[in-house]
Amino acid sequence: MNEEVMEVTYDKFTFRVRKDYWYHPEECWAKGSGGLVIVGVSDFLQKVVGDVAFLELPEAGAELTPGGEAGTMETIKTTVSLISPVGGTIQEVNGELDENPQLVNTDPYGAGWIFKVAPRNWEADRKGLLNAEAYFPKMEEKIKAEMAKK
Amino acid sequence: MAKKIVLLPCSGIGKAYGEIGRQAIYEAVGDHRPAEITTTCLAKLMIDDPEAKQLIHENIVITVDGCARDCARKNVETAGKKVDKALRVIEIFKDHRDLKPEGVLELGEPGFKLVHILAEKLGREIDCLERKEQ
Amino acid sequence: MLEEFKQVKVGIIPCNGEEIGEGTLTRFACRRVLDTLRPHDTVTICLPLFIAGDKGERNFAKAFPTITVDGCEKRCSQKSTERLSGRPKHAIVISELLKEHGLEPPQSRQALEEKDQAAVDLVAEEIARKVDEILEKG
Repeated sequence: MNEEVMEVTYDKFTFRVRKDYWYHPEECWAKGSGGLVIVGVSDFLQKVVGDVAFLELPEAGAELTPGGEAGTMETIKTTVSLISPVGGTIQEVNGELDENPQLVNTDPYGAGWIFKVAPRNWEADRKGLLNAEAYFPKMEEKIKAEMAKK
Repeated sequence: MAKKIVLLPCSGIGKAYGEIGRQAIYEAVGDHRPAEITTTCLAKLMIDDPEAKQLIHENIVITVDGCARDCARKNVETAGKKVDKALRVIEIFKDHRDLKPEGVLELGEPGFKLVHILAEKLGREIDCLERKEQ
Repeated sequence: MLEEFKQVKVGIIPCNGEEIGEGTLTRFACRRVLDTLRPHDTVTICLPLFIAGDKGERNFAKAFPTITVDGCEKRCSQKSTERLSGRPKHAIVISELLKEHGLEPPQSRQALEEKDQAAVDLVAEEIARKVDEILEKG
């Protein structure tokens, strides 16, 4: 078992959760790093929505509220609203995603990061998020619900 | 003898992209010059079918992959041939985000519009590669 | 509680062949099984992705029973599966199945016609029957 990752396999899909990240119920993750908070989407979400074709994101300097909209992500199946798990000011948007939006699918917790935020109150916002151990069973329930939809 | 153009779709059955690539290739083969443009089954390369291998090695190959996994391109390269052009359906979709297919195989009107757009692009790529060959 | 969702499922591996109408028929018949006839018992293995080395496809095919569905006697799906993961539990060849039942193969590889629906039904039902045999369902 990978020390950094929790994972579970259903059929041919392995769902991964980074242990050191925090998770919002709308399937985005947040990680504090050097005074900023990095935000992306969960492995579960990218598997459900399919191959990302493009993202429409706010620019650097945009103000975000915790739980507020922070752009959209479009796949051939659907359009997903991205939610910010943290309030603050966008410092940087992942420019790699313009040419390679599929990074969100291939590496949702690494190279597929979406934006970095200078948080107004990260400690307070983090209380509204789930750690990996709390998020994992909720993810499994969602997997069960997806499989039962067929 | 002039080289043929061999069009190879990934044809993945898990997503609509596979069907879009497949249909676009059928349109390109049918609409253009069927004696000069052809397709074959990708999996024949895996089973070392001699005719399929000769076809790709002696002619110009364009792969049409659904997504960035690039299965068709990789399968051709594993068979020892570098593709002359690699296209991805997802790149066409990026410029036509309103055209979402209705199903994986039953593409519906928007899906077939994407097919036509991709077939036209294939036609342009074919013309370009043929000019280079001359 | 979630163990029921880690049940044994059967991997369906169609050939997807482009050259003949039977390849198109495999796609429609397999999707009928996956989406309608046995949606909770089956998973599709994408043959190009499987051949290209995707871990998810290959690990599933090694761990769970598979049914290959080939359009013609070249048996690309069956041979690829045997080479990459192991012998499938059942191998269906559509050209043979249609001949046994006196059905004509599709004339077009681009689109199936109304008259081809009987062939889709036949192949889909055969796959579903084999799934039931593997899972020992009634």
